[in-house]
Amino acid sequence: MPDKTLPKTDVVIIGGGWTGLTAAYELAHAGQRCVILERGDHRHDATSFAGPEEHDELKYALRYTHMMDVKQNTLTFRNSRDQRALPMRRLGSFLPGEGLGGAGIHWNGQIWRPLPSDLEMRSHYVDRYGSDVLPDDLSVQDWGVTYDELEPHLDFFEKICGAAGYAGNLNGESRDGGNVFEGPRRNDYPNPAMKQPISNTLFGKAADEMGLHPFPMPSANVTKAYENPYGAQLHPCTYCGFCERFGCGYFAKADPIICVYDRIKEHENFEIRFKSTVLRVEKSEDGKTATGVTYIDDQGREVFQPADTICMNAYALWNVHLMLVSGLGTPYDPETRTGTVGRNYSYQTIAAVDAFFDDEIITNPFMGAGAMGVVVDDFNGDNFDHTDLGFVGGGYIACKQYHGRPISYQPVPEGTPSWGREWKRAVRDNYLHHADMVIHGSSMSTPENYLDLDPTWKDAFGRPLMRMTFNFPENDRKMSEYVMNRTVEIARNMDNVTSVSSVNLAAPGKDYTIVPYQTTHNVGGAVIGTDPATSVVNRYGQMWEHHNVFVFGACLFPQNLGYNPTGPLMGLAYWTLDHLKNDYLGNPRPLMDA
Amino acid sequence: MPTYSRRAVLNGLAATMAASLAPARHAFAQLDDRAFFFLADTQARLLASMCDTLIPKDDFPSASEAGVVDFIDLQLAGPYGQGEGLYLEGPFPEGSESQGYQLPFTPAELMRRGLNAFGEAEPGFADGEESRREDMLTRLSEDDVDLGDVPARAFFDELWQLTNQGYFADPIYGGNSDYAGWRMVGFPGAHAYYPSFVANHNVPYPQPPMGINHDPGGDGGLPRVTKRQEG
Repeated sequence: MPDKTLPKTDVVIIGGGWTGLTAAYELAHAGQRCVILERGDHRHDATSFAGPEEHDELKYALRYTHMMDVKQNTLTFRNSRDQRALPMRRLGSFLPGEGLGGAGIHWNGQIWRPLPSDLEMRSHYVDRYGSDVLPDDLSVQDWGVTYDELEPHLDFFEKICGAAGYAGNLNGESRDGGNVFEGPRRNDYPNPAMKQPISNTLFGKAADEMGLHPFPMPSANVTKAYENPYGAQLHPCTYCGFCERFGCGYFAKADPIICVYDRIKEHENFEIRFKSTVLRVEKSEDGKTATGVTYIDDQGREVFQPADTICMNAYALWNVHLMLVSGLGTPYDPETRTGTVGRNYSYQTIAAVDAFFDDEIITNPFMGAGAMGVVVDDFNGDNFDHTDLGFVGGGYIACKQYHGRPISYQPVPEGTPSWGREWKRAVRDNYLHHADMVIHGSSMSTPENYLDLDPTWKDAFGRPLMRMTFNFPENDRKMSEYVMNRTVEIARNMDNVTSVSSVNLAAPGKDYTIVPYQTTHNVGGAVIGTDPATSVVNRYGQMWEHHNVFVFGACLFPQNLGYNPTGPLMGLAYWTLDHLKNDYLGNPRPLMDA
Repeated sequence: MPTYSRRAVLNGLAATMAASLAPARHAFAQLDDRAFFFLADTQARLLASMCDTLIPKDDFPSASEAGVVDFIDLQLAGPYGQGEGLYLEGPFPEGSESQGYQLPFTPAELMRRGLNAFGEAEPGFADGEESRREDMLTRLSEDDVDLGDVPARAFFDELWQLTNQGYFADPIYGGNSDYAGWRMVGFPGAHAYYPSFVANHNVPYPQPPMGINHDPGGDGGLPRVTKRQEG
């Protein structure tokens, strides 16, 4: 029994990040009384993220002061089912957030759209290459929602962020200098592309000379004074080099606090409760709906908050954890390959290529921005012919200058010792003369990569930790190696380059490891689709088994595409909210037949 | 047992190490007369010689000259050393490398045990020539030294991370004294504002480093009025 039961609200929203605050904004304006429960604290760009204090690499980038606390909740991890999963005892591979704005305050601002073919991955590949192209060990599937359906919502989110870029496909017209592979967009970016430093410029020049199609990375680091559709004021980026892992005190990186929260916080239908950790979603007696959520409030009391509609807006992993501990949906069983909650967890492949310049090139790496990059998308998705390659998917190649923070940015040529006199000299000689390329690749889902509950370890609230079972499928390793080798070719063609080295974190024969940072792009586990046997929610983001529960975020992705997830997941969020507001609320029911 | 000041402890190193340990000026000069917060004197001396093998003196200061021992002492005494951000619920079965840190020790416990065990295993370390110290640390990094219940590699990794952080973190944490690490690479620091400079290609940035609490090129005293960053 809870210590306290509160009066019923229309909507309870679990989590105060990008999707949760956006849900509150849209639903409050639709007349719904919304309560957000956020496990972390209030914070604000002006008072919490201002420089120079925010420009503290040790505190934020290495001690993770803006991130979730693993003492409260972590997960256990293993590469395969025959291992014992062990706790992720400190953060490493990915960095979920905590507090107002969630992980949305410490992103780099790389704002992408999915390719049209990404959203229909299975049918696209089968149509183009025949049914043998997808091996049995990949559980790749269509999203159930198309690019044309998402386009207006992707467009709107770019306006919310004041995105900076240059359209490569404007209403079907291909434009040199933009991403010629992207789906048609109805509008150009609201702001012009970012400035580029010498490293990115030389990368673009080399790629162009090779017949590839370089373009400026789409950026939510804003380039001009800008007012978004909600009335938020954003300022031009200062290229300070403290984006990823930091909040932006300049109001220059779009984040959920300044873009959404400030515009809804005074609304009569809006309430947010901090230090409020949701323990579980409660189900009705017949199990067909949810009745509300039980949470621990800021006084440590167990509180029941009843609601007509429940929106799950926690980070991808913790949405799945909440479903598992609440008995929402049916957990996935890898033995029988039945059930859906926890199924199709996937991640992202990351490889890196370093190019070292002679002394004529001075890069000033500390002048950076999270999304200041030049990108080649020729090897992403199905933008290139996959015949006989032995894999599906791809990734973008980006030359980025996003920081020169001196603990984390110590590029040295291959063969340099990892400490000592020679290492010290190499760090000194190369810091100002290096280009940083990343291969940011897709990751296919498989029947053996999944999330469930751990039998041994518990979180601070006595709930079982979630257990992650994951390794990169062979498909992804081949893909990552292939695109990395294309990147090495570009790097070798860059002017003034004296040496090139590469590393593939998804290399053939190498286990995925939870230790080094890769990306905070965990996806899947509660995927979207049109078949209840292979998805947790229908194509509107509504749970098949509990129609008043709507699910948001990257947990919906059936497999990971080659892009950063924030753009696609916010497109999905606006799509879900559109149907929730305009169809569901007037007549609550399952929006699709099972 | 008498307690000596940290500078006296570090200056008491063997002759090969003691050349110029105390920097002429650094942000935490007022701590020089105080004992270490966490480290025992013998641990501090051993740590200094290990750090200075990892980052030796050349045109730029060694690790201990740049205050790295003070940095590590403060880190181990503070929240990081005491296990903040570390899930330490048992049991603690052995795992694979891909599963990450699985020891029941906080960073402070790991370093204390590691330093004590390494001091016993390699009693001549601090007096050794650089090449001999390098060999010993190489074996440590390859898990080829028996430190009892502390895996050598885990101790080495913690030692190297803290040393590197101490050389390059903002001077408010006690290391990177006189901006040793930032001057070496050319990082101008925390007061960062480059909208009119970023697209000026191949132009060296002219300003000396300035940390969160310090003047550009300052001596670690109280901050004066912030100066304009761009020339």
